[in-house]
Amino acid sequence: MFWRRKQREQDLERELRSHLEEEAAEQRESGVPEDEAKYVARRALGNVGLIAEDVREVWGWMWLERVLQDLRYGLRALRKDIAFAALSVFALALGIGATTVIFSVIDNVLLEPFPYRDSQRLTKFYIRDLAHPDQTGRADYTMAEYRAFKEQNRVFDDIIATANFDVLYTAAAGAKQFRAYQTTANTFDFIGVAPLLGRAMIADDGRPDAPPVAVMSYRAWQQEFGGDPGIIGRSLTLNGRPTTLIAIMPPRFALYNGDFWLPLTTETPDTRVSTMGRLKHGLRLQAARTDLELIARRLATVYPNEYPSNFSVTAVSLVDRVVRRFRPLLYALMAAVGMLLLIACSNVANLLLARATAREHEIAVRASLGASRSRLIVQLLIESFLLALFGCAAGCLLAYAGIRGIVAVMPRDLIPNESVIVLNPRVLLFALGMAVVTTLLCGLAPALHAVGRNLHDRIKTVGKGTASGSGHRGLRTAFVVAQVALSIVLLVGAGLLMRSLIALQSVDLGFSPDHVVATAIPFAPGRYDTAEQKRIFFRAVLQKVAALPGVVAVSEASALPPFGGPRSEVTVPGVAHAQGLRASMQLCSEDYFRTLGIRLLRGRLLTETDIDSARKVIVVNQALASRFFGDADPIGRSIKFDAFDKAPESPRDAYFEVVGVVADVRNNGLQSPPQPEAFLPFTISGALGRGILVRTATEPNSMLSSIRREIWAVDPNVAPSMGTTLVTALEQESYSQPRFALIILGTFASIGLLLAAIGIFSVMAYSVSLRTHEIGIRMALGAQRAGLLKMVLAKGFMMIAAGIVIGELASFGLTRLLRNQIWGVSSYDPAVLGGVVAVLVLVGLAACIVPARRATHVDPMMAVRYE
Amino acid sequence: MAKETRIELLQGTLDMLILRTLLFGPAHGHQIAKHIQRTSDDLLQVEHGSLYPALHRLEGKDWIAGKWESAGKGSTREFKYYRLTALGKKQLVTEESKWRQLTGAIARIMWPAKEG
Repeated sequence: MFWRRKQREQDLERELRSHLEEEAAEQRESGVPEDEAKYVARRALGNVGLIAEDVREVWGWMWLERVLQDLRYGLRALRKDIAFAALSVFALALGIGATTVIFSVIDNVLLEPFPYRDSQRLTKFYIRDLAHPDQTGRADYTMAEYRAFKEQNRVFDDIIATANFDVLYTAAAGAKQFRAYQTTANTFDFIGVAPLLGRAMIADDGRPDAPPVAVMSYRAWQQEFGGDPGIIGRSLTLNGRPTTLIAIMPPRFALYNGDFWLPLTTETPDTRVSTMGRLKHGLRLQAARTDLELIARRLATVYPNEYPSNFSVTAVSLVDRVVRRFRPLLYALMAAVGMLLLIACSNVANLLLARATAREHEIAVRASLGASRSRLIVQLLIESFLLALFGCAAGCLLAYAGIRGIVAVMPRDLIPNESVIVLNPRVLLFALGMAVVTTLLCGLAPALHAVGRNLHDRIKTVGKGTASGSGHRGLRTAFVVAQVALSIVLLVGAGLLMRSLIALQSVDLGFSPDHVVATAIPFAPGRYDTAEQKRIFFRAVLQKVAALPGVVAVSEASALPPFGGPRSEVTVPGVAHAQGLRASMQLCSEDYFRTLGIRLLRGRLLTETDIDSARKVIVVNQALASRFFGDADPIGRSIKFDAFDKAPESPRDAYFEVVGVVADVRNNGLQSPPQPEAFLPFTISGALGRGILVRTATEPNSMLSSIRREIWAVDPNVAPSMGTTLVTALEQESYSQPRFALIILGTFASIGLLLAAIGIFSVMAYSVSLRTHEIGIRMALGAQRAGLLKMVLAKGFMMIAAGIVIGELASFGLTRLLRNQIWGVSSYDPAVLGGVVAVLVLVGLAACIVPARRATHVDPMMAVRYE
Repeated sequence: MAKETRIELLQGTLDMLILRTLLFGPAHGHQIAKHIQRTSDDLLQVEHGSLYPALHRLEGKDWIAGKWESAGKGSTREFKYYRLTALGKKQLVTEESKWRQLTGAIARIMWPAKEG
């Protein structure tokens, strides 16, 4: 209609011109002179432009009137066939709902995860050592470097610097540790989030002589102060210093997941900060890279120690950095949900086709009464659109529930803390867009098909019942084959994820995580800084915890397995090409090996004396021994950890003697083979994070609070973490994302399978009903029930088999989307591919059984008489 | 035929007259206008300004269908010929009976004595 506007305009002009010519000719015939005739004709017709205008107005109204009429008609038609409408709306609601859920996750996590101003332009940059291209690089800078970047760059609107500054909040009730940051005073202006209460930090707060102030998170406000608004302006003791609270931030604000933000006033040029810049509008990351690299090259000449000999600068957006592990999975899920939507659409298309056949008579009558083809197509499309709209509304309800479900199973640590997953207007608009897309996807083919055949054919077949709709049959079969193929792809994906999760869970860690509790003990700056202070503190803690009933063994530890400590470059005398060799450093006490159940292979373990006198001896793992020393005996060799040379409170230029070799345990996540690792007496250094590992004989969770009590008994002013069991930590760190992927894809695959089963069922039932007459004759001629059953089932099986073959072929290509999620299993895993086929054959044949049985119960007399 | 004797068409009656005219067979706009004018002995003057919008409105309601055809044997000129559809025929019957009722009612009010 409206898309043929131009053509119609030309037609109208031609029509009016022909009228003028005709009138002029008539005038000439009645004796009016040639040039006057034209004039008279024009006067008789009147203002041509005005007429054309009036006609156009008629068109406009016509269009609206038709749409309204079609809408009313469509609603009436759908009401008449409520079962069809309900089934279609159900299928579309599942498709649109699932798509909307995934889109809302993508929207809220990938597109707009942060509440910050222009968050897409926030950029972090790294100094990347080209000798270690697999690593992200250095992201912490000295204040001197920060100043240089801030002043010399030409690509950022502004740069902020933030330093870790965990605070110990001391109140009457006891001490509590909070994650906190010192930030440059421009931070809050940079972030662009206004405080919920109070005033934001301003430049004056950052002056060294300014009175100490702090900004608090909504979370801490609620938990610690019960949301008391009177807290603003009060003085809190943070790290022993009275500090005025100036602001509470809104709930959706947790810069670096902190609870307090203080102005950076105590810095020296050596203070380490992490930085973040906001890229100027319209600039690309590449531009930032080039500009920052220029500055970094200059800085490298001033601070040669800070820069590797061969480096580059990388710049990545904050969003990218935070969601990079999650993004490929979300895109894969988006593809999966797209397939689900296609299944739903082809399902509805099939129902529409069946309906179009049933309505052939009506359509034929409307066509013969003068309805144009395009009018009929629009009418049918409007009916599909009505279905899609209802499906969209129901889908949004499903999505509302689905989002709650998906948030519940989503691994929290993979998405920004501040991303809130909700149905926002953009998501709803997306759902509406989906309704339009689905209208075209599922409505167009049936509509074209319904009005495609010429009137003559149709009138001939109308009322005969047997042959009608035969033209649709091929298309309907194609739709079912497509549904089966798409479900196969989804099922294969889910199957591979399931196998990966199983593979992951059956990884041999090398140690037993059951009954092990880990408690991190962060120290406030200025307390327990030195190695000696830490030795005294931990000795007391270890003794007290070991004395608890139910404790089997306890050890100090600087990293939580299956992750090793920080990695350091090493110097190994007598080993050529030692450059580039790295090892993780695990600071521990003598019972570490017993706590985790790590086996000694050669030499001896660390002893209490080694620990207490901070002897420079180490135990290494098998991976280190064979990587560094090959077949040679590692016992007695020495290793220097270069990281200590730069770390505070650490031995300089210290060589450690290898005294023992232990079996490998996973120390670089579950999916990587064990890396070289050294176990050092924790009393060697005052640096690195600390905590304790406790093996219990009883249920480990029940020990958490008594362990904390013992730590507080040593010093009430330290703030141990709540503590967690290794099993829980493993779950969060390693299994939660694969499990999430499996749950979501598994759900989609099940819905897809259900829809495909409905599709198979409806097509089979329909084809049986079309062939009632034929079946009746066959029976009258003596066909056996079993034979008929076989005939119908064979047809269904052919459809399913075709879908399976196409689906398996397609899944070879499409499971590549999941390659980041699949681990420990081949994409062509025969168990998965075979299992999926078995599932589909079973479900498919089950869907065929009822229609097939109905075929065998046809009464030959009735069927023949039906004609 | 002085101008004063011409009567403007009543609102809504043009549609009916067009449909009635097309009952005799397909015709283009000019022919329809002339036909109405002539059969009413030039009493009814079809305003061309309302003829074409009316034609397109009727076409939009699928009461009539327009098609470009040549004017007849030998002629190269083409006109948009309108033809009555089945739906249009039904509509004409409805309009006609409505019109009959309306004129009857008006007549009874205007000339009650004559009727009695």
